[in-house]
Amino acid sequence: MFKELDPILHSQLRLAVMSLLISVKEAEFTYLKEKTNATAGNLSVQIQKLRDAGYIDVAKQFKDNYPQTTCKITTKGVDAFELYVKVLNEYINR
Amino acid sequence: MEEKPISQQESLLLIQQMIQTAKREQKDDGKGWIVWGWMLFISSVLTITNLHFKWFSTYFFWNVFGIASILIFIYETTYFLFVSKRIKVRTYTKDLFEKLNAGFFISLMFIIVAINTGVPPTKGFALLISLYAFWILIYGSALNFKPSVVGAYITWAFGIVALFVKTFELVMVMHALGVLFGYIIPGHIAYKEFRKLHRKEMAEIV
Repeated sequence: MFKELDPILHSQLRLAVMSLLISVKEAEFTYLKEKTNATAGNLSVQIQKLRDAGYIDVAKQFKDNYPQTTCKITTKGVDAFELYVKVLNEYINR
Repeated sequence: MEEKPISQQESLLLIQQMIQTAKREQKDDGKGWIVWGWMLFISSVLTITNLHFKWFSTYFFWNVFGIASILIFIYETTYFLFVSKRIKVRTYTKDLFEKLNAGFFISLMFIIVAINTGVPPTKGFALLISLYAFWILIYGSALNFKPSVVGAYITWAFGIVALFVKTFELVMVMHALGVLFGYIIPGHIAYKEFRKLHRKEMAEIV
């Protein structure tokens, strides 16, 4: 019997964001947009979903008169990501 | 990239791709090691030559090196504060390097002041070589860059020899060899690897 894959993570853009954030300390919105090739609108929506799930922290501030959004993975997010990879491996190796 | 469901295989591939992308942020192009290494190497060689031909006072070229280092430091700080682009991503490795570099320069200044206030330069330079080796080992280990790790131990070996040689000229030879194996050679290898990776990335984009 296989566990369900976390529906929050099992989508292309959200998984890409989480995979990037798990490897760094924190990343700006522009970095995530650049690396995922997503549109700003779509990325904002998906980041909000990850934030609502408690998987990432989002900090908004102004720097040199420009808005700056920084994202950081939370402990809950790390746990969820690790579990996702574990379940994924079970599916692939069955 | 869009918001769409994906298969398990696609998920795994995507995770690998993104982690690989983020890992590139932690690569060092080696330019800093090359510049710093060559500056130290040239100063050592010029000091050895100067000891032979007696053009200037013994530490003339180290004073020139000190002034050049201060000017580069001012330029780098100004560029970082006022010109460079905003930091888009922070990694744990970069944070570690900031602290490591701060500790390195404080220790460097400590030894330089010690040399200028009574510690014999022959011993002072041996300590400097040891400090380089320490920095190179941590930096190389954090980047998982074997040439630096190996270079660090070679640099330490030259540092130990420098501690026991009698003349300042020989200490300068050990210093030059230490920076050659610790900074210059690993720096050029890192630069070559970085360029190769960059070309690969460009090819992927095209």
